[in-house]
Amino acid sequence: MNGDARGWRMALVPDSLINSPPHPLPTTLVDVLAVLEASGYGLLQLPPPGEHPLLLAVIADQVAEFSHHGYAVLAIGIHGEPGNGLHWRRMAPLLKHRGVAQPLRHIVRPDADAALEAQRLATLLASYDLPIEEQRRWRV
Amino acid sequence: MEPTKPRKVALLANCLLNQNAKVCEGARYRGVVNPVVEALRSRGYLMLQLPCPEIAFAGARRWWAVYEQYDTPAYRAHCRRLAQAIAPLIEGYLRHGDEVILIGLDGSPSTGVRFTSSKPDWGGRPNRPQDDWEIVPRRGVWIEELEAELAQRGLPPVPATGWALDMGRFDEAGSRRDLEQFLDSRDSASGARGEDLDTP
Repeated sequence: MNGDARGWRMALVPDSLINSPPHPLPTTLVDVLAVLEASGYGLLQLPPPGEHPLLLAVIADQVAEFSHHGYAVLAIGIHGEPGNGLHWRRMAPLLKHRGVAQPLRHIVRPDADAALEAQRLATLLASYDLPIEEQRRWRV
Repeated sequence: MEPTKPRKVALLANCLLNQNAKVCEGARYRGVVNPVVEALRSRGYLMLQLPCPEIAFAGARRWWAVYEQYDTPAYRAHCRRLAQAIAPLIEGYLRHGDEVILIGLDGSPSTGVRFTSSKPDWGGRPNRPQDDWEIVPRRGVWIEELEAELAQRGLPPVPATGWALDMGRFDEAGSRRDLEQFLDSRDSASGARGEDLDTP
Protein backbone atom coordinates (compact mmCIF):
# COMPACT_ATOMS: atom_id res chain seq x y z
CA MET A 1 0.00 0.00 0.00
CA ASN A 2 1.54 3.25 -1.15
CA GLY A 3 2.56 5.55 1.68
CA ASP A 4 0.73 3.50 4.27
CA ALA A 5 2.50 3.16 7.62
CA ARG A 6 0.38 0.53 9.37
CA GLY A 7 2.29 -2.08 11.35
CA TRP A 8 -0.19 -4.97 10.80
CA ARG A 9 0.06 -5.98 14.45
CA MET A 10 -2.11 -5.15 17.43
CA ALA A 11 -2.89 -6.16 20.99
CA LEU A 12 -6.03 -6.58 23.03
CA VAL A 13 -5.35 -4.59 26.19
CA PRO A 14 -7.33 -4.26 29.45
CA ASP A 15 -8.59 -0.83 30.40
CA SER A 16 -6.45 -0.92 33.55
CA LEU A 17 -3.24 -1.17 31.52
CA ILE A 18 -4.20 1.97 29.59
CA ASN A 19 -5.76 4.04 32.36
CA SER A 20 -5.06 4.44 36.05
CA PRO A 21 -7.32 2.09 37.97
CA PRO A 22 -9.37 3.39 40.91
CA HIS A 23 -6.98 1.68 43.31
CA PRO A 24 -3.55 2.67 42.05
CA LEU A 25 -1.33 -0.20 41.12
CA PRO A 26 2.30 0.01 42.16
CA THR A 27 4.06 2.80 40.28
CA THR A 28 6.40 0.16 38.97
CA LEU A 29 3.72 -1.17 36.61
CA VAL A 30 5.08 -1.46 33.12
CA ASP A 31 3.89 1.26 30.72
CA VAL A 32 2.28 -1.08 28.22
CA LEU A 33 1.04 1.73 25.99
CA ALA A 34 4.57 3.08 25.59
CA VAL A 35 5.94 -0.38 24.77
CA LEU A 36 3.20 -0.97 22.21
CA GLU A 37 3.86 2.38 20.58
CA ALA A 38 7.60 1.82 20.43
CA SER A 39 7.01 -1.65 18.97
CA GLY A 40 4.68 -0.37 16.25
CA TYR A 41 1.56 -2.06 17.59
CA GLY A 42 -1.96 -0.74 17.63
CA LEU A 43 -4.36 -1.73 20.36
CA LEU A 44 -7.96 -2.68 20.98
CA GLN A 45 -9.03 -1.55 24.43
CA LEU A 46 -11.14 -3.91 26.52
CA PRO A 47 -13.65 -2.41 28.97
CA PRO A 48 -13.14 -2.27 32.73
CA PRO A 49 -14.44 -5.18 34.83
CA GLY A 50 -18.21 -5.62 34.63
CA GLU A 51 -20.82 -6.89 32.23
CA HIS A 52 -20.38 -5.54 28.70
CA PRO A 53 -21.88 -8.25 26.45
CA LEU A 54 -22.62 -6.05 23.44
CA LEU A 55 -19.31 -4.18 23.56
CA LEU A 56 -17.35 -7.43 23.81
CA ALA A 57 -19.26 -8.78 20.81
CA VAL A 58 -18.42 -5.62 18.87
CA ILE A 59 -14.75 -5.97 19.78
CA ALA A 60 -14.81 -9.65 18.79
CA ASP A 61 -16.23 -8.66 15.39
CA GLN A 62 -13.27 -6.34 14.88
CA VAL A 63 -10.75 -8.96 15.99
CA ALA A 64 -12.29 -11.44 13.56
CA GLU A 65 -12.07 -9.02 10.64
CA PHE A 66 -8.43 -8.24 11.40
CA SER A 67 -7.48 -11.86 12.03
CA HIS A 68 -9.02 -13.01 8.77
CA HIS A 69 -7.18 -10.40 6.70
CA GLY A 70 -3.51 -10.62 7.51
CA TYR A 71 -3.21 -8.86 10.85
CA ALA A 72 -1.45 -10.35 13.86
CA VAL A 73 -3.44 -10.04 17.08
CA LEU A 74 -2.32 -10.98 20.56
CA ALA A 75 -3.65 -10.22 24.05
CA ILE A 76 -1.86 -8.62 26.98
CA GLY A 77 -3.41 -9.32 30.36
CA ILE A 78 -2.62 -8.21 33.87
CA HIS A 79 -1.97 -10.63 36.70
CA GLY A 80 -4.32 -10.26 39.64
CA GLU A 81 -7.41 -9.02 37.81
CA PRO A 82 -10.35 -11.34 37.09
CA GLY A 83 -9.72 -12.97 33.73
CA ASN A 84 -6.46 -11.00 33.63
CA GLY A 85 -8.57 -7.98 32.64
CA LEU A 86 -9.29 -9.58 29.28
CA HIS A 87 -12.90 -10.76 29.93
CA TRP A 88 -11.62 -14.10 28.64
CA ARG A 89 -14.57 -16.17 29.85
CA ARG A 90 -16.73 -14.20 27.40
CA MET A 91 -14.16 -13.28 24.76
CA ALA A 92 -12.93 -16.82 24.12
CA PRO A 93 -16.32 -18.17 22.95
CA LEU A 94 -17.07 -14.98 21.02
CA LEU A 95 -13.83 -15.39 19.09
CA LYS A 96 -14.34 -19.10 18.58
CA HIS A 97 -17.84 -18.46 17.24
CA ARG A 98 -16.28 -16.09 14.68
CA GLY A 99 -13.70 -18.64 13.58
CA VAL A 100 -10.77 -16.90 15.25
CA ALA A 101 -7.96 -18.97 16.76
CA GLN A 102 -7.31 -18.03 20.38
CA PRO A 103 -4.74 -15.21 20.37
CA LEU A 104 -1.51 -15.63 22.27
CA ARG A 105 -1.90 -14.23 25.78
CA HIS A 106 0.93 -12.47 27.57
CA ILE A 107 0.41 -11.58 31.22
CA VAL A 108 2.23 -8.69 32.88
CA ARG A 109 2.84 -8.77 36.63
CA PRO A 110 2.27 -5.55 38.55
CA ASP A 111 4.59 -6.77 41.31
CA ALA A 112 7.55 -7.41 39.01
CA ASP A 113 10.34 -5.05 38.07
CA ALA A 114 8.86 -2.65 35.48
CA ALA A 115 12.00 -2.42 33.35
CA LEU A 116 12.30 -6.19 33.13
CA GLU A 117 8.61 -6.55 32.36
CA ALA A 118 8.90 -3.92 29.63
CA GLN A 119 11.87 -5.77 28.15
CA ARG A 120 10.04 -9.10 28.31
CA LEU A 121 7.02 -7.59 26.57
CA ALA A 122 9.10 -5.75 23.95
CA THR A 123 10.96 -8.96 23.11
CA LEU A 124 7.72 -10.84 22.63
CA LEU A 125 6.20 -8.06 20.49
CA ALA A 126 9.28 -7.90 18.27
CA SER A 127 9.16 -11.61 17.54
CA TYR A 128 5.41 -12.06 17.22
CA ASP A 129 3.80 -12.05 13.79
CA LEU A 130 1.92 -14.17 11.29
CA PRO A 131 3.80 -16.80 9.29
CA ILE A 132 5.64 -15.24 6.37
CA GLU A 133 3.31 -16.83 3.77
CA GLU A 134 0.32 -15.16 5.41
CA GLN A 135 2.13 -11.84 5.49
CA ARG A 136 2.92 -12.11 1.78
CA ARG A 137 -0.65 -13.02 0.98
CA TRP A 138 -2.18 -9.94 2.54
CA ARG A 139 0.39 -7.22 3.00
CA VAL A 140 0.81 -5.90 -0.49
CA MET B 1 -17.77 4.76 50.52
CA GLU B 2 -16.08 8.07 49.73
CA PRO B 3 -17.02 9.35 46.27
CA THR B 4 -14.13 9.48 43.84
CA LYS B 5 -13.00 12.78 42.35
CA PRO B 6 -14.22 13.77 38.87
CA ARG B 7 -11.89 12.54 36.18
CA LYS B 8 -10.97 13.77 32.74
CA VAL B 9 -11.92 11.26 30.06
CA ALA B 10 -11.21 11.39 26.33
CA LEU B 11 -13.32 9.33 23.94
CA LEU B 12 -11.01 8.43 21.09
CA ALA B 13 -11.65 7.47 17.51
CA ASN B 14 -10.63 3.82 17.26
CA CYS B 15 -7.81 4.45 14.79
CA LEU B 16 -6.08 6.97 17.08
CA LEU B 17 -5.02 3.93 19.11
CA ASN B 18 -4.94 1.51 16.20
CA GLN B 19 -3.93 2.76 12.77
CA ASN B 20 -4.54 -0.74 11.41
CA ALA B 21 -8.21 0.22 11.35
CA LYS B 22 -7.59 2.86 8.69
CA VAL B 23 -8.70 2.38 5.10
CA CYS B 24 -5.89 1.20 2.81
CA GLU B 25 -3.25 3.93 2.31
CA GLY B 26 -4.77 5.94 5.16
CA ALA B 27 -2.43 4.95 8.00
CA ARG B 28 0.14 7.59 8.95
CA TYR B 29 1.50 5.73 12.00
CA ARG B 30 2.35 2.08 12.62
CA GLY B 31 -0.10 1.64 15.48
CA VAL B 32 -0.74 4.24 18.17
CA VAL B 33 -0.97 7.92 17.20
CA ASN B 34 1.55 8.99 19.76
CA PRO B 35 1.13 12.79 19.63
CA VAL B 36 -2.53 12.41 20.61
CA VAL B 37 -1.75 9.97 23.42
CA GLU B 38 1.07 12.16 24.73
CA ALA B 39 -1.08 15.27 24.73
CA LEU B 40 -3.81 13.48 26.65
CA ARG B 41 -1.63 11.66 29.15
CA SER B 42 0.37 14.76 30.00
CA ARG B 43 -2.90 16.48 30.90
CA GLY B 44 -4.21 13.62 33.02
CA TYR B 45 -6.86 12.24 30.69
CA LEU B 46 -8.15 8.69 30.82
CA MET B 47 -8.79 7.21 27.40
CA LEU B 48 -11.79 5.30 26.12
CA GLN B 49 -11.40 3.87 22.62
CA LEU B 50 -14.55 3.95 20.52
CA PRO B 51 -15.33 1.01 18.24
CA CYS B 52 -14.42 1.43 14.58
CA PRO B 53 -17.68 1.40 12.62
CA GLU B 54 -16.12 0.82 9.21
CA ILE B 55 -13.94 -2.19 9.98
CA ALA B 56 -16.78 -4.49 11.02
CA PHE B 57 -19.18 -3.18 8.37
CA ALA B 58 -17.20 -2.71 5.17
CA GLY B 59 -14.16 -4.70 6.25
CA ALA B 60 -10.41 -4.36 6.55
CA ARG B 61 -10.04 -4.20 2.76
CA ARG B 62 -12.80 -1.70 2.10
CA TRP B 63 -12.66 0.94 -0.62
CA TRP B 64 -12.30 4.58 0.19
CA ALA B 65 -15.67 6.22 0.66
CA VAL B 66 -17.26 9.60 1.31
CA TYR B 67 -20.04 10.62 3.69
CA GLU B 68 -22.81 10.11 1.17
CA GLN B 69 -21.83 6.47 0.56
CA TYR B 70 -22.06 5.64 4.26
CA ASP B 71 -25.24 7.65 4.74
CA THR B 72 -27.49 4.58 4.41
CA PRO B 73 -30.09 3.06 6.74
CA ALA B 74 -28.04 -0.16 7.13
CA TYR B 75 -24.83 1.63 8.05
CA ARG B 76 -26.65 3.95 10.44
CA ALA B 77 -28.27 0.92 12.12
CA HIS B 78 -24.79 -0.63 12.47
CA CYS B 79 -23.49 2.61 14.00
CA ARG B 80 -26.42 2.71 16.42
CA ARG B 81 -25.56 -0.82 17.59
CA LEU B 82 -21.99 0.29 18.23
CA ALA B 83 -23.23 3.41 20.01
CA GLN B 84 -25.46 1.27 22.23
CA ALA B 85 -22.43 -0.90 23.03
CA ILE B 86 -20.18 1.94 24.19
CA ALA B 87 -22.78 4.40 25.53
CA PRO B 88 -23.19 2.73 28.96
CA LEU B 89 -19.51 3.40 29.71
CA ILE B 90 -19.76 7.01 28.55
CA GLU B 91 -22.96 7.45 30.53
CA GLY B 92 -21.21 6.12 33.63
CA TYR B 93 -18.49 8.75 33.32
CA LEU B 94 -20.95 11.59 32.68
CA ARG B 95 -23.30 10.59 35.54
CA HIS B 96 -20.27 10.46 37.82
CA GLY B 97 -19.56 14.10 36.94
CA ASP B 98 -16.41 13.41 34.97
CA GLU B 99 -15.31 15.82 32.26
CA VAL B 100 -15.71 13.93 28.99
CA ILE B 101 -14.38 15.06 25.63
CA LEU B 102 -14.38 13.44 22.21
CA ILE B 103 -11.52 13.35 19.73
CA GLY B 104 -12.58 12.15 16.33
CA LEU B 105 -10.88 12.12 12.98
CA ASP B 106 -11.50 15.18 10.88
CA GLY B 107 -12.17 14.46 7.22
CA SER B 108 -13.43 10.94 7.91
CA PRO B 109 -16.84 10.01 6.47
CA SER B 110 -17.63 8.19 9.72
CA THR B 111 -15.61 9.73 12.52
CA GLY B 112 -15.29 13.33 11.34
CA VAL B 113 -16.11 15.89 14.02
CA ARG B 114 -15.58 19.32 12.51
CA PHE B 115 -15.22 18.11 8.95
CA THR B 116 -16.16 15.15 6.83
CA SER B 117 -15.45 14.13 3.24
CA SER B 118 -18.16 14.65 0.68
CA LYS B 119 -18.76 13.88 -2.97
CA PRO B 120 -22.39 13.13 -3.74
CA ASP B 121 -21.61 11.61 -7.16
CA TRP B 122 -19.06 9.03 -5.92
CA GLY B 123 -20.05 5.47 -6.73
CA GLY B 124 -19.56 2.63 -9.15
CA ARG B 125 -16.10 1.51 -10.23
CA PRO B 126 -13.55 2.85 -7.70
CA ASN B 127 -11.34 4.69 -10.17
CA ARG B 128 -11.82 8.28 -9.10
CA PRO B 129 -8.91 10.63 -9.60
CA GLN B 130 -6.93 11.27 -6.45
CA ASP B 131 -8.27 13.83 -3.99
CA ASP B 132 -11.36 14.79 -5.92
CA TRP B 133 -13.61 14.73 -2.87
CA GLU B 134 -14.47 17.80 -0.86
CA ILE B 135 -14.06 18.57 2.80
CA VAL B 136 -17.24 19.99 4.29
CA PRO B 137 -17.99 21.21 7.82
CA ARG B 138 -20.12 18.39 9.16
CA ARG B 139 -20.03 15.39 11.52
CA GLY B 140 -19.29 11.95 10.09
CA VAL B 141 -22.09 9.38 10.14
CA TRP B 142 -20.76 7.45 13.18
CA ILE B 143 -20.33 10.58 15.26
CA GLU B 144 -23.86 11.69 14.35
CA GLU B 145 -25.26 8.38 15.53
CA LEU B 146 -23.14 8.30 18.69
CA GLU B 147 -24.23 11.81 19.65
CA ALA B 148 -27.86 10.89 18.95
CA GLU B 149 -27.58 7.87 21.26
CA LEU B 150 -26.09 9.98 24.06
CA ALA B 151 -28.80 12.62 23.60
CA GLN B 152 -31.47 9.91 23.74
CA ARG B 153 -30.10 8.93 27.13
CA GLY B 154 -30.55 12.52 28.31
CA LEU B 155 -26.83 13.19 28.42
CA PRO B 156 -25.29 16.59 27.67
CA PRO B 157 -23.34 17.18 24.46
CA VAL B 158 -19.70 16.20 24.74
CA PRO B 159 -17.14 18.86 23.68
CA ALA B 160 -15.42 17.50 20.61
CA THR B 161 -12.64 18.07 18.18
CA GLY B 162 -10.91 16.07 15.48
CA TRP B 163 -7.35 15.01 14.72
CA ALA B 164 -7.00 16.21 11.12
CA LEU B 165 -5.70 12.98 9.62
CA ASP B 166 -8.14 12.67 6.73
CA MET B 167 -8.13 16.22 5.43
CA GLY B 168 -6.00 15.58 2.36
CA ARG B 169 -2.46 16.69 3.14
CA PHE B 170 -1.73 15.70 6.74
CA ASP B 171 0.05 18.32 8.84
CA GLU B 172 1.11 16.67 12.09
CA ALA B 173 2.57 19.78 13.73
CA GLY B 174 -0.55 21.79 12.93
CA SER B 175 -2.80 19.00 14.18
CA ARG B 176 -0.84 18.78 17.40
CA ARG B 177 -1.09 22.55 18.02
CA ASP B 178 -4.78 22.44 17.27
CA LEU B 179 -5.40 19.56 19.67
CA GLU B 180 -3.32 21.08 22.46
CA GLN B 181 -5.19 24.36 22.08
CA PHE B 182 -8.48 22.50 22.41
CA LEU B 183 -7.31 20.59 25.49
CA ASP B 184 -5.90 23.69 27.15
CA SER B 185 -9.10 25.59 26.48
CA ARG B 186 -10.97 22.78 28.25
CA ASP B 187 -8.64 23.13 31.24
CA SER B 188 -9.29 26.89 31.33
CA ALA B 189 -13.03 26.33 31.10
CA SER B 190 -12.95 23.78 33.94
CA GLY B 191 -10.88 26.16 36.03
CA ALA B 192 -13.34 28.97 35.46
CA ARG B 193 -16.27 26.69 36.34
CA GLY B 194 -14.46 25.59 39.48
CA GLU B 195 -13.98 29.23 40.56
CA ASP B 196 -17.64 29.94 39.91
CA LEU B 197 -18.64 27.01 42.10
CA ASP B 198 -16.38 28.21 44.89
CA THR B 199 -17.82 31.71 44.77
CA PRO B 200 -20.33 32.23 47.58
